[in-house]
Amino acid sequence: MNADLRRTLSLTAAAALGLASVPWLASDFWLSLALTCVMYAGLAVTWAMFSGATGYLSLATSAFFGIGAYVTAWGLGTLPYLLLVPLGGLAAAAFAALVGLAVLHLRGAYFAVLTFGLGELVRHAITYFEKTYAKTVGRVLSDVPESSVVYLTVLLVTAIAVAACAAVRASRLGLALAGIGADEGRAQTLGVDTRRVKIVAFALSAFFAGALGAAVAVRWTYVEPSSVFNPFIGFQTVLIAMLGGAQTLIGPLASAIVFSILTELLRLQFPYAYLMLLGALLILLVLYLPGGIATLIHRPRRTDG
Amino acid sequence: MAFWIELAGSGLITGGIYALVAMGLNLQYGLMRIMNISHGEFLMLGAYLTWLAHVAFGIHPVAFLPVVALALFATGLLAYRLCFRRILRTSPSVEAIEARSLLVGFGLMYLVQNAAYLAWGADMRGYSFLADAIEFGGARFAANGLVAFGFAVAMSLGLIALLRWTLVGKAVRAMMQSPVGAQLVGIDTAVLHPAVFGAGLALAGIAGALLSMVYEITPGMGEPYTVTALIVITLGGLGSASGCLAGGLLLGLVEAFGMHFTSPSLKMLLSYGVFIGVLLARPKGLFAR
Repeated sequence: MNADLRRTLSLTAAAALGLASVPWLASDFWLSLALTCVMYAGLAVTWAMFSGATGYLSLATSAFFGIGAYVTAWGLGTLPYLLLVPLGGLAAAAFAALVGLAVLHLRGAYFAVLTFGLGELVRHAITYFEKTYAKTVGRVLSDVPESSVVYLTVLLVTAIAVAACAAVRASRLGLALAGIGADEGRAQTLGVDTRRVKIVAFALSAFFAGALGAAVAVRWTYVEPSSVFNPFIGFQTVLIAMLGGAQTLIGPLASAIVFSILTELLRLQFPYAYLMLLGALLILLVLYLPGGIATLIHRPRRTDG
Repeated sequence: MAFWIELAGSGLITGGIYALVAMGLNLQYGLMRIMNISHGEFLMLGAYLTWLAHVAFGIHPVAFLPVVALALFATGLLAYRLCFRRILRTSPSVEAIEARSLLVGFGLMYLVQNAAYLAWGADMRGYSFLADAIEFGGARFAANGLVAFGFAVAMSLGLIALLRWTLVGKAVRAMMQSPVGAQLVGIDTAVLHPAVFGAGLALAGIAGALLSMVYEITPGMGEPYTVTALIVITLGGLGSASGCLAGGLLLGLVEAFGMHFTSPSLKMLLSYGVFIGVLLARPKGLFAR
């Protein structure tokens, strides 16, 4: 373990411990805001781990998130909440691995559109399944854990996610992912099993999205496909990671905090104007700062040299 | 029997619109890999323009088609000038163009869709146009659907002919094959490229105008059409206009019959099933040789 990684891990642990005090210090409103921040930090960091490094633009985050949420919706009451969180992650990871086997040879727009379609596909499949076999549209979650428990669980998942991403970046897997992003053909020639690497990383990032979905689902007392498979969750994740700088670790974390606060404060009051602003921001950033805000602070390692 | 004709007819009518939308997107993507994911939003704009002109000024929707086409063409030139030109100039590789234009497309989608929500609200809008039924051998079709289908297919065939037999069409095809090569043989790509991008949006606008004659419209109507257009492009093969027409009609039929035999709520599942199936089995399109 090198010094850089050790420093990142201890910083993550310290930040998580500090943030763990929020339930005892803040009001309900701020606790809920902190929960949103931490959730998007986890989603954006794990998205960036795969998509930021490889350049495979995945829009499947909402699919993984929703799968996790539905594991909780189906299992709550029979299984303990803390067991459902990793189960949700495993379900999403299994789904990602299966999908990855089939579609990870596609690049560019096809991959992006296909993964976007996945969210819709799973959403429609679950809606159909619930309507036909369970004769219901959504599910009411009874005896949900307290909001502080939910917050701490989400914080724990995100902390593990950040640590995992830091570890991946320092490992052979991380180097292989960056190699795929720079030039997949060359990585293959140099002996990287690109197919296996891509599937492992895709499933790992899906695991955290699913676990976060499973952990956050109890926040809503009523779970239905259109709310947990909301494409907005996926878009917001991509946006946060790209704006922050998807090739860095700190970029997505920082922009997750900024954007979650912005969203919570503005979205309810000016829903349409806020989304227009987001759209305009995205365009401006892609045009004038394609590496994300993180490039303003420090130049990322050159990957194309 | 009449029932089956009606079913096939309704599938073909939707399919004709799909073909038109997909051709517009194909023009943009085939050239320089601009993945304009906000394509459907411009379809929605076309639909709202037509609705507005009809409700506010009583203008005949068919007579308004050229105005919609021109307006969307101008919008396309503007969008190209403001957003996509910079991407093309600064991106290091084709992949970067693809990824960045996709993100800019998402931005445009947010911008245009929410502007429409802000301007017109989330309610369904519509007007009655040629709603009488016409009979064909026992099968009954709404006249507006037939008009929309006729225009969609005529426009598609016109475009195919234009691309195949005119000098401009030849230049566009040359540019699709190799932008640099086209420049070398004297094609002014700096003029032609924005024009083709604008023409793509004009096609989306016309498709939207035709849709507004048949269905009710909402600001969110465009998004599914973007996805469907991508499916059609995949079916028909990248850069192939006639593939788009065949793929669009085919997808319309698959959806109509599929929904009849299963359930209407499975429409999206059917389309995605076709999409994934084709991508896995024939990634170059159904008609690739």
